Amino acid sequence: MRKINKLISEMEVKSRQLRKKILETCIKAGTGHVTSSLSCLDIMIALYHGRILNFDPKNPNWAGRDRFILSKGQASPAYYAILADLGYFSMKELDSFAQKNGKFGVHLQKDVPGVEITSGSLGHGLGVAAGIAMAAKMNMELYLTVVLIGDGECYEGSIWETAMFASHNRLNNLIVIIDRNYLCVTDFTENLITLEPLEDKWKSFGWDVLKIDGHSFEDIFNSLKEVRSQKSIRPRVVIADTVKGKGVKSMCYNPLWHGLAPTGREAEIAMKCLEEEENE
Amino acid sequence: MNNISQRDAFWDRVYELAKRDKDIVIITADMGAPSLDKIRKELASQFINVGIAEQNAITIASGLALTGKKVFAYAIAPFITLRCLEQIRVENAIMNIPITIVGVGAGFSYKEAGPTHHLLEDVGVLRTFPNIKVHTMSDSVMASVFAEMTCNSKNTDYVRIYRQTLPTIYKNSADFSKGFNVFKKHKDTYIISSGSMVQMALDMSKKFDIGVIDLFTLPISEELLHEIKACKKIVTIEENFLPCGMGSAVLEFLNDNKIDINLKRIGISLEKGYCYKYGGIDIIRKYYGIDVNSVDRQIKNFIK
Repeated sequence: MRKINKLISEMEVKSRQLRKKILETCIKAGTGHVTSSLSCLDIMIALYHGRILNFDPKNPNWAGRDRFILSKGQASPAYYAILADLGYFSMKELDSFAQKNGKFGVHLQKDVPGVEITSGSLGHGLGVAAGIAMAAKMNMELYLTVVLIGDGECYEGSIWETAMFASHNRLNNLIVIIDRNYLCVTDFTENLITLEPLEDKWKSFGWDVLKIDGHSFEDIFNSLKEVRSQKSIRPRVVIADTVKGKGVKSMCYNPLWHGLAPTGREAEIAMKCLEEEENE
Repeated sequence: MNNISQRDAFWDRVYELAKRDKDIVIITADMGAPSLDKIRKELASQFINVGIAEQNAITIASGLALTGKKVFAYAIAPFITLRCLEQIRVENAIMNIPITIVGVGAGFSYKEAGPTHHLLEDVGVLRTFPNIKVHTMSDSVMASVFAEMTCNSKNTDYVRIYRQTLPTIYKNSADFSKGFNVFKKHKDTYIISSGSMVQMALDMSKKFDIGVIDLFTLPISEELLHEIKACKKIVTIEENFLPCGMGSAVLEFLNDNKIDINLKRIGISLEKGYCYKYGGIDIIRKYYGIDVNSVDRQIKNFIK
């Protein structure tokens, strides 16, 4: 228990550190989906820094690695910051994010070390992940396939095509984590087209469903522990309640910040918000 | 391979290959075939039916292929191409994950099923993507060979299968690696055709003494240049909408190679649009002016 508490407090430090990096990266580039990145950062920190996933930064294509699919490719600044922090590439590479001679753009790309797919168009990652999980079953390989999707992504019909497929084929080596930040592009999801009851929807599609606080490392750990034992025949979905823009109060709970990086005075306010949160 | 459909020839060959190679996986969007039944029964672990869900067929296929599987994704042609076009664009064109897309029902081959099942746009759409090759099957010999060629290919292949059994025009020893076949050489006039229209082209060549090329793979191989650069007139015949179709590809090819040859495209004009015509392919072709008599007349006027 003490060991886990230590790990959790390390991840909390990492979370603050990488939040700052994400914000700085996007402010410098003048673009990038800041709020979408901040909502799912903690989930990915738990997966990587919390060592829920098996991976090897020195050998990104290691055959035994767990496959992590970031389907909401607009959160690439968060994922890139994590991969850089783990040594997949130099943190310095992020300085040229979405700029001339930069290697990375606004949406996730497959050729970045550690990244499995190109994403940006929504509703693709889950299907590809289910194909990978199916291949693991066929080959009797033990790696897990974990896919992170946005809640707004659940509007895509292709998500439900794959949801049916995965439960029918008993892909209990497939885990979906939904970044449930309740915001889409122009409005809150429940104003837009009601997503709730989201848990019931996934349950009725034959999935094991867990609902957690997506900024609680303890919750994230608990939701994924014993996942390798595959006691259940069903795939697992973790609906993680998050805050879009977490850590930067000035950008939270406002759909207008979707897809944007703050500039000028707003950038200063955002950085200040982040520092205030740190001091709290 | 007389009296066997392209579909059956294709899947028979896949069945033989899959028996020896456990990495071959066949995905169907609930589309059947006698050979598929054999695969479903005897090679159950290599067979996946995703239901009528073409978007899922392509993403599942691509996920499997990312791990090294050799995947065929199969459905009625308009649905396995246009319904899931954006999946093909992202997974197979942008990410360059190689799979084989198999569509039955090129052109008007779902004749009585109406315009939802006629497919006149797929060549035009899919040939604009990098990393994807479009192959139009002319007979069952070709379909059988393409099952093996595409299985081991490093890019995504789209195999267009005609629903009706077409006359066998190739010998079993035929080589399809160039992407075209010169049936009959000619010093100054050629008909270039594909799929269901090749037999008509062969018939016309006897009547008018002109050369015939079956152009089955797009993009066009540079090797075609040697065959046609010296000729004076070319007619293209296809069962597709004309914009961006096979004939347009030939036009672009000539233009890119700075070859000035008088070319006439015969195919489906946009002005005629879609049709609800029943009673057979000949009636549909007549409506669009690509039946034997119309083509005969157009060629006669063009080459005189």
